[in-house]
Amino acid sequence: MTLVSLFRAGPPTRHAHQLRLLPSPAAGLAVLAAIALASALPLVANAFVLGYATLVTITAIGAVGFTILVGWTGLVSLGYAGFFAIGAYTAGYVMTKLGGSILLAMPAAAAAAAFASLLVGVPSLRLKGLYLAITTLAFSVIVNHAVLLAKPVTGGSAGLRVRRGAAFGVDLTSDRAIYWICLAVLGLSVVLAHNIRRGFIGRALFAIRDYEVAARVIGVNVVAYKLLSFAMSSALIGVAGALFALHMRYLNVESFELILSIEAVSIVIVGGLGSIAGAIMGSAFIVLLPEAARTVFSWFGGTLGDVFSSNAQEIKGAIYGLVIILFLRFAPDGLVGAIRRAIDAAKRWPLAY
Amino acid sequence: MQYFTDLVVSGLAIGAIYGLIAMAFACIYKATGVVNFAQGEVMMLITYATASLVGLGQWPFWTGLMIAPFVGIAVGLIAERLVIRPMLGRPPFAIVMATIGLAVLLRSVIVLFWGSEPREFPGRGSETVVRIFGVGLYPVQFLALAIFASAGIGCWLFLRYNRIGIAMRATAISEHVAMLMGVDVRRISALSWAGAAALSGLAGVLFATAAYVGPDLFAVGLKAFPATILGGLDAVTGSAVGGLLIGVTENLVGGYVDSALKEIAGFVVIILVLMLRPNGLFGDRDVERL
Repeated sequence: MTLVSLFRAGPPTRHAHQLRLLPSPAAGLAVLAAIALASALPLVANAFVLGYATLVTITAIGAVGFTILVGWTGLVSLGYAGFFAIGAYTAGYVMTKLGGSILLAMPAAAAAAAFASLLVGVPSLRLKGLYLAITTLAFSVIVNHAVLLAKPVTGGSAGLRVRRGAAFGVDLTSDRAIYWICLAVLGLSVVLAHNIRRGFIGRALFAIRDYEVAARVIGVNVVAYKLLSFAMSSALIGVAGALFALHMRYLNVESFELILSIEAVSIVIVGGLGSIAGAIMGSAFIVLLPEAARTVFSWFGGTLGDVFSSNAQEIKGAIYGLVIILFLRFAPDGLVGAIRRAIDAAKRWPLAY
Repeated sequence: MQYFTDLVVSGLAIGAIYGLIAMAFACIYKATGVVNFAQGEVMMLITYATASLVGLGQWPFWTGLMIAPFVGIAVGLIAERLVIRPMLGRPPFAIVMATIGLAVLLRSVIVLFWGSEPREFPGRGSETVVRIFGVGLYPVQFLALAIFASAGIGCWLFLRYNRIGIAMRATAISEHVAMLMGVDVRRISALSWAGAAALSGLAGVLFATAAYVGPDLFAVGLKAFPATILGGLDAVTGSAVGGLLIGVTENLVGGYVDSALKEIAGFVVIILVLMLRPNGLFGDRDVERL
């Protein structure tokens, strides 16, 4: 078995093919290897690397959720930061003020975010793409102001300290434990999202994305499925927010600015719109890119390095912006598409035609 | 009662600025079917550039208003050529995403270039309050209302009667049919970006002379979103009216309810309005068929 055949998936030609969880046994092996590598990481990594790995995992959970809405249902949302914040503050409140564990905090965060999404979703239902982007943007701005105003719950502008606590009788205060929890939740969300995708819900969502009127004509309840997709997506983003609270141990409204929503948008574009694997790769790419850029800048030392350290936020923004524009222009199918094309080229080489 | 009229009138003045930006949004949407999420940032770039030019020449502030449209046209044409033109023919979704990318990019580059300290617009206008019919306003605010009114009427006449304006509306309805009728769609796209940038440049300089030139200027663009939505994305004059409504609403909420709620009043209003009228107050209803 050559390396190339490991990745051979080919276009699905039979119905059974579409229903399969994995395209081939080889893909199963690749997934198992990835899981093993990811789980073993804390055994070798130092605190710095582990911190970034945790952040990538958390971002990936949110990005998978975002993919359901943007990639599959075709609804553009700029409300990621709002749902993420709701999840984070709900979890923070449950764990710190009510003394619950993360096992209680995560479902609470998911429920709160899903409920909030229905509040925005119901008025936005009749709206198409662009209007929805603006109402979700409005929602996100409103959430940020609400966080500042609701001092007893969120700590207002002073922020909220989060207690990590324990679950299953296991102490969760170590960074390793947090990472493993995040990884497990990511695994669960991927399986969940993948099952939604290959089942009838996924196909209803695709139908809505591709042609809403046609979807309605063949009997898809467009309103119900749009709301469902909105709620599922926000619930996952809320869970990511809860894990973010657990990871950071301190919540401040500045972590949930508009730039976070832009980050989510750039992740799904960079990864490849609508692909779960793309969402994970995009998260790694986007979260690590500013850090990588910082390292490169520091090689030049002197003034360039200084510019970077004093304007980290701006450089991050510039990088996200450039990445979005360049990927849309030159690789609209994202990293996933680029890899697929590279594999195709490798298979056909040297006889391309 | 005096308090109420003062709030309404100064609301109209800030609403005029929102209205200009909202017209810019509608101008691009009407011609290309794309919401330009970078409008606030484009406005910010024009304002910074104009402020630098005026400061460099040590001219009085009103020259800024003369220069801004031209700086705007230049910025609009460049942005369109670099970011939008290569994406023509792609789904609107992708182009909208590209404008989101342009927004963050511009915002960051501006701060990297000009620094993050807010500054005064060079040669600010007079601070004395002028009273007409018992209503007090700064001269700049009067200027804002006057420019807004003439721009609104100008745009309406242009789209209604001018050959290019009609070509723009045709492109908005169907790019393909417009092309078949001999409209140069690429030029229309460039023109709409230039026009929108000129409008938002005026808005930016007006706002900056009344307040300051700072890195959070793009937020004014964000607040013009509700205005555009309220008026209907495809209605240029409707958006202008939407701007006035949002400005007044904001001021009344800030004056009577809570100053913290002022910032989000517009956003709450659009969520409520869209519940009742999904295409805005003046927008056309979409009719779709298979």
